[in-house]
Order: sequence, then structure tokens, then C-alpha cells
Amino acid sequence: MTVIEDRPVTVRRRTPNRRRWLFTAIVGAIALLVNVPLLNAILVSFKPDGEIAANPLGLPTAPTLDHYANVLYASGYDFPRFFANSAMIALGTVIVVLAIAVPATYAIVRLGFGGRWIINSASGLRLLPAIFFVVPFFLLFTTLGLQDSIPGLIAANTFLNLPLAIILLAAGLRDIPNEIEEAASVDGANVYRTLWGIVLPILAPTMVAVAVLVFIFSWNDYLFALVLSTSNATPVTLGAANFITSTGIRWGDISAASFLSTLPPLVFAVFAQRYLVSGLSAGAVKG
Amino acid sequence: MSTSLDTRPALGTRKRAVAARKRSRTIAAGVLSLPLIAFAAVFVVYPLITGSMTAFQASTLFDLAGTFNGIDNFTSLFTSDGFAKSAGFTVLFSAIVVTVEMVLGFGLALLVNRRFPGKKVFFTMILLPIMVAPALLGIMFRLLLNGDIGAIPALLQGLGMSVSLFSPDSVVPLLIVLDILQWTPFTFLIIYAGLQSFPSELLEASAVDGAGYFRSLFSVIMPVLTPVLFAAFFLRAIDALRTFDVIYVLTAGGPGTSTTTLSIYIYKAAFESGDFGRAAAAALIILVCLIPFVPFIVKRIASTGMEKTK
Repeated sequence: MTVIEDRPVTVRRRTPNRRRWLFTAIVGAIALLVNVPLLNAILVSFKPDGEIAANPLGLPTAPTLDHYANVLYASGYDFPRFFANSAMIALGTVIVVLAIAVPATYAIVRLGFGGRWIINSASGLRLLPAIFFVVPFFLLFTTLGLQDSIPGLIAANTFLNLPLAIILLAAGLRDIPNEIEEAASVDGANVYRTLWGIVLPILAPTMVAVAVLVFIFSWNDYLFALVLSTSNATPVTLGAANFITSTGIRWGDISAASFLSTLPPLVFAVFAQRYLVSGLSAGAVKG
Repeated sequence: MSTSLDTRPALGTRKRAVAARKRSRTIAAGVLSLPLIAFAAVFVVYPLITGSMTAFQASTLFDLAGTFNGIDNFTSLFTSDGFAKSAGFTVLFSAIVVTVEMVLGFGLALLVNRRFPGKKVFFTMILLPIMVAPALLGIMFRLLLNGDIGAIPALLQGLGMSVSLFSPDSVVPLLIVLDILQWTPFTFLIIYAGLQSFPSELLEASAVDGAGYFRSLFSVIMPVLTPVLFAAFFLRAIDALRTFDVIYVLTAGGPGTSTTTLSIYIYKAAFESGDFGRAAAAALIILVCLIPFVPFIVKRIASTGMEKTK
């Protein structure tokens, strides 16, 4: 797994101090620029209704938490339910993906099941457009009664994220020296005990990386939620957009809702950055 | 499963034990893969088959069962100009954004790839747009660009410019700029990660030789970094070609059909026009066009991923 170290490839060894601050200024400006939409939404979410149109550029002069109160409980929005749906879908997908991918990848990498062929089809599947599966999934889910249900969206997101999980887990497993498992099997442990008691603890960091990525991608899914949910299973990506049409344009509430909906992935981005970087750069494709 | 079982009479207990272990491992491989096989059968193989079949059926939102209609769906795709137009827009849009994002991402990676104060904080900040749900980012863009309350129109007005951002003339450049803002952090991340695993001896050697920065860049860094650049390019290209969320939230493919990507075209064909057959046919054409590239890309990207994780 690639861990980003602070080991810059500099051709010139010593940079004078003043020039270092120049880089701070340039990179800082770029870091702010790419986050303008998010920062703007945060600012708007603290402005009282009257100020939003009157003062579109400045900081809030009379900051208020009203929009957060509206979104969370005060005005009968369904936002808390959308949020809970997203949480259930994302956590459910993480559990199902790991439950399917960990044993299967072990069988592929260590027990010779299917071999490289399966890993390659997993990579290939990741490249095919998700839109192809929208119509057949709609038909299938209608038949199975999974339409507009949390299990249905968990299944759809599992489909989207399994290939990435298999690719990352296979790479993680190859990193574990075979001798450890051989020693266990000489001691008489069967395959299942070796997998559960010896391989899983060593594989844990890779599993965390997979869990973090799968959580974020399932939380952020929009296309399948749009097609496969109507009201009961609506997640925040869809629910936050619903505010625009269903309540007139309450920009303050919309910005509070979209910022709150973005928080879980952002928290991961900050605190589990190491895993994200390794996971995304190991040939991952965003779903 | 290719494990051959030794069925000859056992020569000794040890050999029997080895055969038994082999057999139990084969069984375990099957048991452990069973959930994956079951899931793939229902949610990958079956949809691939039904999706392909729907392409040859008259199937609508109100008649899901569908009846065979030959190549009618394909004929209707090619006789109306909506499909070709959205394909053209998608390819043009992707070509522009991916090129710009590669250049900017590479430049930013080189810029960040040194020691300077505040590096950790800014590195994390640059990665944030990758984590924001594209659909939510779309809403945030609406907030930012709205003619009445948006900061950008207010800023432009303050500078004495009156531009209607979502007018037919400016909407495509606008979407291109937004995509670049959203995804340059991704190409940056991949290329930066590649720079980190760069063998530093190479650079030291070239520094000893007295090569300048740009000479080292092109003759030393670029050749070694090529697989990483390739991976970043293809990962982005594939994502750009299926762009849906941000554009759908911002313009829903309009005004008219001027910003309809292939994904939006298929979605609308299925769930606005209710013509599942035409949507499936369009999806099948895209799938068939992409399949020849898959083994090639898988080989390149998979090998990059594997090397990195060693």
C-alpha cells in the first residue's frame, strides 16, 4: 500500500526560506479556490434569510443557526430521515461488500479459485458505464420487490463497489507473506481458522481502507438512488436536491442541508486520509 | 477449480494427508467464493443479459415485459439526432476536461512536491472536492452561480460584467470550468502519489550530472512516471465519459439538449420518455464500443496498482 510520505522529489536540495513561503501562498490559494463552492455553502448556511440576497459576497454579519434548526427539526423537513437512510445504505454496503469480498478474494489469491481472470474481470467491470445497469436493475428490482428499499440500494451500491474492494484486497493479501499461513496449516489449523484468526488481523488495515472508500462512494451515489428510490429509501444526495423543488427556493436551508450531507465523507477525508490516498491511487475508479 | 486430486492408492499416510488437505482447500475455495458467485449471478450476469435483451425489445415504463422488435430501437437511435448529439457533446466535453485536468494536476503535483510551511493542511484541503458527493457539489454550484443570490454573478456584476452563466453560449464553458475545479484534485492525487514512489537515486544521479530542473523533469521524471500518468488519464477519461450527477443537477441536460451527456440521454430515454428499449439499446452501443479497450486498460492500470502495492 502506498503511504504518502513527506519525501519530496526535489532536484534542488536547499530552498531558501522566503521561497518556501511563496509555495505556501500559491498552494494555499489553489486549496481555497477548489473549495470555493463548499466554503460558499457554509457561509450562506449561517446567513439570515434577508442577508443571503443582500450580501452574497461577504461574511455573515449576523450569523444564525436557524437554517440548521429548520433542516434538523423545526420545519418538518424529511432531512433527518434522508440522513439516516444514507447512513444505513453506506454502512450496510460496507458490511455486505466486506462479507462477500474478503472470503472470495482469499479464495482467489491463496486457494487458486479462478485466478487472475476474476481480478481482471473485476477491474474490467469497474470500467463499464454504470448507466448500462440502470435499466436492467430497475426491471430486476421491480420484480424482486427491492424497488425503493434500503436493501435494494445496498445491493446496488455493493454492485458498484465490489470490483474496487476485490482489487484492493487482492493487493493487500499479496503483501502478506505466505509463510505465516503455511506455519498455521502445519500446526493443523484448517483454512477457515487460518483466514479468521491469522489473515484477517494482518489484513485489517486494507479492510479499513476498503471500508472508508466504500462508505464514501455509497454515501455519494446519486444515479442509482435517483432510479431505484422514490420516497422510503431516499438518501441525502437526492433529498438535498429535493429541497429546491418541494419548498420553493429556501437557499439558507438548502445550503445547511448540503453542508450537513457532505460532513461524513469530509470527516473521513480528514481523519482517514492515508487510506483514501492509498485506495484511490491503487488503480481505483470512482463509481 | 483446477486442483487435481491424487486418486491413486496411497503410498503412505503422509501422502494421504496431503491429498486430503488439498481436497479440503478446494472445497474451502468454493465455499468462500459462494457469496461472490451468487451475488455476481444475480446482480452482474443476469442484468447484463436482460439489459442486452431489452435493447431488442419494445419495452416501456408501462409495459416492462417487452416484446421483441428486432433492431427497431437502434434504427430509431440513429435516425433521430439526439443520441449522436449527446455522444458528440460527451466526447468533446471529456476530451477538453481530461486534457486540462491532466496538465493542471501534473503541474500542481510538481508544485506541492517539496517542503513548505502548511503543506499538510493544504494537501488535505485540495483533496476535499474528491470526497464531496457530485450531486451535492452540483447544488453548491447552483448556490454559487444563482443570478439572484450567487457570489459569482455578484462578483462579475461588481466588475461591471453582465454574463448570464446558464445561457446557451456560456453554459458549456461553465460546465467545463466546474468539472476542472472538481476533478483536478483527483489527477493531482494520483500523480502526486506516483511522484512519492519515485526512486530518488535517479534524481540524485541527474542532479550530480548537473541537469537543470526542466531537463530532469522531461528526461528523468516523465519516463518513469508514464504508467502513473496513463492510469490517471484513463481513470479520469472513463469517469468523464459517464458524467451524470453535476450536469444533471445543474442543467438537467439543457438548455434544449445542449449539455445532454450520454448518461443523461439514457436516463431521460428510460425514465422521462419511458422508452426502456431505446435506453437499453443506447447503453448497449456504449458498452460494445468500450469493451475492446477494457483488456488493454486493465492490463496497464492493474499492473500500476500492483507495483505500487508491493
